[in-house]
Amino acid sequence: MPAERLFDEKTLRKLEQLRLIAHKVRSGAVKGERRSIKKGTSIEFADYRDYTRGDDLRRLDWNVYARLEKPFIKLLEEEEDLTVHILLDTSESMNWPPNGLGGVGGAISTVDVHKFRYGMRLAAALAHIALTTGDRVSVSLLTGARMADRWGPVRGRGQTLSMLTWLEHLRTGGTTDLNAALADYAVRGGRAGLVLLIGDMLSPGGYRDGLNALQGRGHEVAVLHLLSPDEIEPVAAGDIRLIDSETGAGQDVTIDGAMRGLYARRLREWRSEMASYCLGRGAHYVAMETSTPWENVILYALRRAGVVR
Amino acid sequence: MSFLTPTFLALAALAVPIIILYMLRLRRREVPISSILLWQRLMQDREANAPWQKLRRNLLLLLQLLILAALVIALARPFIPIPSVAAGSVALLIDASASMNATDMPGGATRFEAAISQARALIGDLASDEVMTIITVGTSPNVISPPSGDQVVLREALRRAEPTQASADWEAALALAGASIAGRENASVVILSDGGLPDNLPALTVPIRYIQIGREASNLAISALATRPQEDEPQLFAAVTNYADQDADVILSLEIDGELLTAERVNVPAGKTANRTFTALPASTRVIRAWLSAPVEGGISDYLPVDDVAYAVYTPPASGRVLIVTEGNRFLQQVFSSFPALNAFRTAPGELPQEPFDLMVLDGWLPEKLPDTHLLIIAPPASTDLFAVGDAFTGVRFARQVDDPILAFVDFKSVAIREAALVRTGGWAKPLVEAVDGPLLLAGASNGRRIAILTFDLHASDLPLRIDFPILIANLLQWYSPTQPFDAADSLRPGQPVVIRAQAATSGYRITSPDGSEQTFSVGESPLSFSATTQLGIYRVELLSGSQVETEASFAVNLFSPDESRIAPVDAIVVGETEIGGKADRDEYGLRELWPWLAAAALAVLIIEWWVYHRGSTLPWRAEEKPGVASNQQ
Repeated sequence: MPAERLFDEKTLRKLEQLRLIAHKVRSGAVKGERRSIKKGTSIEFADYRDYTRGDDLRRLDWNVYARLEKPFIKLLEEEEDLTVHILLDTSESMNWPPNGLGGVGGAISTVDVHKFRYGMRLAAALAHIALTTGDRVSVSLLTGARMADRWGPVRGRGQTLSMLTWLEHLRTGGTTDLNAALADYAVRGGRAGLVLLIGDMLSPGGYRDGLNALQGRGHEVAVLHLLSPDEIEPVAAGDIRLIDSETGAGQDVTIDGAMRGLYARRLREWRSEMASYCLGRGAHYVAMETSTPWENVILYALRRAGVVR
Repeated sequence: MSFLTPTFLALAALAVPIIILYMLRLRRREVPISSILLWQRLMQDREANAPWQKLRRNLLLLLQLLILAALVIALARPFIPIPSVAAGSVALLIDASASMNATDMPGGATRFEAAISQARALIGDLASDEVMTIITVGTSPNVISPPSGDQVVLREALRRAEPTQASADWEAALALAGASIAGRENASVVILSDGGLPDNLPALTVPIRYIQIGREASNLAISALATRPQEDEPQLFAAVTNYADQDADVILSLEIDGELLTAERVNVPAGKTANRTFTALPASTRVIRAWLSAPVEGGISDYLPVDDVAYAVYTPPASGRVLIVTEGNRFLQQVFSSFPALNAFRTAPGELPQEPFDLMVLDGWLPEKLPDTHLLIIAPPASTDLFAVGDAFTGVRFARQVDDPILAFVDFKSVAIREAALVRTGGWAKPLVEAVDGPLLLAGASNGRRIAILTFDLHASDLPLRIDFPILIANLLQWYSPTQPFDAADSLRPGQPVVIRAQAATSGYRITSPDGSEQTFSVGESPLSFSATTQLGIYRVELLSGSQVETEASFAVNLFSPDESRIAPVDAIVVGETEIGGKADRDEYGLRELWPWLAAAALAVLIIEWWVYHRGSTLPWRAEEKPGVASNQQ
């Protein structure tokens, strides 16, 4: 993966006006900028904490600064912070389409529809939003049956650059057993918070046990389901053998008009089944196609799903 | 069903390589994909209706084998024998005479159309190695298709065939037919006709079949229409003939120069002719059109329309009245009395009579006002407003004479003239003969009349004693009153040629046919023989002098043929000594080949196969999502 800028300044500024939402607020360890659902607490001053780079300067107590010449952030009683866990699937199936270019509606376009790059942009954007709003953020990679690597948890807007640098050098590989990996994260992931799972959900064992484990741990879960255009509408045709990019296993199919119809129906069923399962469990589910500009996904689709405000 | 080339059936062995290739084709191309997870589940679903899937997988193979079978069988040329009127080399003679225009066939079709559809059926029966020549028989036989086995060519030729309005020349047609199939094996002649062939046709060496066309005999015809002058008034004679087997009432209408003159009810007994004479027609009558129509209560069926209309042209007789005004020039009196068609009158100079004359000869005398008719002025004594007479000159020496029809066979060079007057015209007349001192003969047209001037007294020359004199007068008379430019009897038969003669100044002819089409000819050395008289009606002939119309006349072409008007179909015809019945038996056997159908079937299956390959065997409305454009990913 080339070390490239995941997004530009202009987009960053647009993202700064957003914030992540967790309906079932988890108790924060530190006072944050998030309104508590606890009733009866005053909105008065609660505490100071050290200024870290990226904190909102409006929150700086200028009087203390004038007296002590040290920056302190004024925390208010009813605000608390949120821990945002961003989980990124790094299985080989995310490294698709191989050339990064993909068909939109059957036609080849020049839009980058690579799933993993798309996932990274999404992760970076969401992490940036969370950092900007003063939340605690960690970005973790799911590889094989466990959480393989992790950035954070950190807070403060100054961390965006370091997060981007870390993201830009990630690689895909192997298969991911979502159930096992999510269960592993539930154990090792730390404080309960908002879990944003970014991946194609193409895991042979399914995902339900993993989601259950996360929710059992008290996390609020949002599944951001990525599929590339050629996965939604296959371009291959005729009598062919499909080779799995993760396992190398083959599957003989004859792709004709009827087969395309069946595939489309199967895919639709799969997505709606996932959506209804998540809905039933109180989790968010957002199906997205990598041909949709990722800014739009964040600005519109995630907003509509109630993940971002 | 049998095969013409059964060896080609061995090509069925090609099925083996097709099957082998099909098996090879099933080694699938490998296409990488992010995950086969969804496809695996999909294939598990589809295992449920596996038998149908297996069949569908082999559908392409089945279709390909079907195409092969159709092509192989087509190459083997299967055929079924079918009874046919004629086989081998056929010369098809289609009667295109006037009677074939009769509309007695089912649906109001003409006999000719029925003959054409019969001919189409015959073409359809042709086997692939058989050839047909198609000849339409009109005034002259017309080979509309040379010997050909190509049914498309033959049908196209039939499409161009037209019936004529004339009688048919069967002798020439049979000779042509015999020549076209001469030397071919298994040749025969098929005649599509309503009969009416002459009895004395020469025998042919090949078998002849006669297919009778036509069903009815009922027909009324104008069998004659003629005019003649009767006491300076045109008189018209018309004859209406009833060819039906029952008496008939019919309305005979007359139209003169485009205006309806009369419509008269005529009763014609069966098989008889009714004559009518019309007198006291307008003196200006030129073109007469007569036609038959059924009376309001309806008459008998009149199946042939072309003989229900007839035309006549009235040509008033040339009166040829000539007045000679002379003191007593015997030469003049003699020469004019020698033309029998002329009525020559003589009077002494003085008062001119009031009666009209076609030509006045003014010998040495002029009235105060020149009469308004053609003039021959000899030795004018005084000037008029048309010319000036100057001094006389003697010792006339011949200078030149121009080349003009007036001077044909006339030589002035040796004519001795004692004295002539110097006459000058305003340019309307052309000097035809000139002496050194002035013109001797001038001729030209002024104000619609033609005027010739001899500038010397006949007595002062030896011209009247010479043979040139009557020739000159004859040429002048021809110039003064041109007669009709052609010899047409009362009416011509269709196809009959008419000879058109040029006149003095004619440079070309324009002939307008009844349908309005014009043909222009330039004057050649010999008189024009115009034979494109195939249409019935009035032909207008114009003699052109440059772009001016010099003379104009008309002639009529009418059918007037009892043979054509008698439309009753004839059951048998006689060619040579043989009588041939009108119901041709289908006693020959032709081959109807089936390969075009098989080839078409192969093409159809090929299209289906292509469609199945690209779209799958699912019908479009079963596809739940519109599949994208299929493109093979390499």
